[in-house]
Amino acid sequence: MKTIYLTDGAIPNELISGMIGNLKKKTDSGGHMFFLGQVRADEAEGKRVSAIEYSAYPEMVQAEAEKIKNEILKEFTDVRSVDIVHSNGLVKTGEISLAVLVAAGHRQQAFEACSKTVELIKAHLPVWKKEIYEDDTHIWK
Amino acid sequence: MGGWGVEYMEVKVLFFGVLTEVSGTAVKHYQDVRSVGELRLRIQDDFPEIFHYNFRIAVNGEITDNDLLFKTGDEVALLPPFAGG
Repeated sequence: MKTIYLTDGAIPNELISGMIGNLKKKTDSGGHMFFLGQVRADEAEGKRVSAIEYSAYPEMVQAEAEKIKNEILKEFTDVRSVDIVHSNGLVKTGEISLAVLVAAGHRQQAFEACSKTVELIKAHLPVWKKEIYEDDTHIWK
Repeated sequence: MGGWGVEYMEVKVLFFGVLTEVSGTAVKHYQDVRSVGELRLRIQDDFPEIFHYNFRIAVNGEITDNDLLFKTGDEVALLPPFAGG
């Protein structure tokens, strides 16, 4: 089954709780690390961010996310699984745009592997963001 | 097309991020281009302003350099710095 790494718009709570629910099946894991990235209401030149519009190169996201997962599983031998979901499209401030869930045998590698996964996502996932301000102007980041 | 392995292909070029806005397009087909370097010059003629921005070029999802020769059906992507998360 092909894993889906991009979701349309904000990551819904149902998807997040579904990811947590799936952990029940991983009875060989004892430590899970969940990272959630949220759209922040940054301010620049007196203007406040109201949303981020993400865009992506979906085929390359698929390939790069697989590479990231494989790299993490190879480096951290106690890690059992890595789940990655990134938003595509419009996400309002306060909504979730990135979810990374690392399941490991024990906590130490769960912490380290989750942190590294997020860094690899930022460096290698072909995703772009347009910050949209309350006055409808925007800046590409 | 001759016996020298030099073929003129059509390639599909995808623009991403800020480059979509600057070029006013998300996809454009180019004919008769052999290499990434040659394509770069053609894009520069059409959209000189995008060269004010930093971007890398991927062919079929792999970041590449100017020397790569195209094959039929290659998909080229112009990738500004990634900004996920």
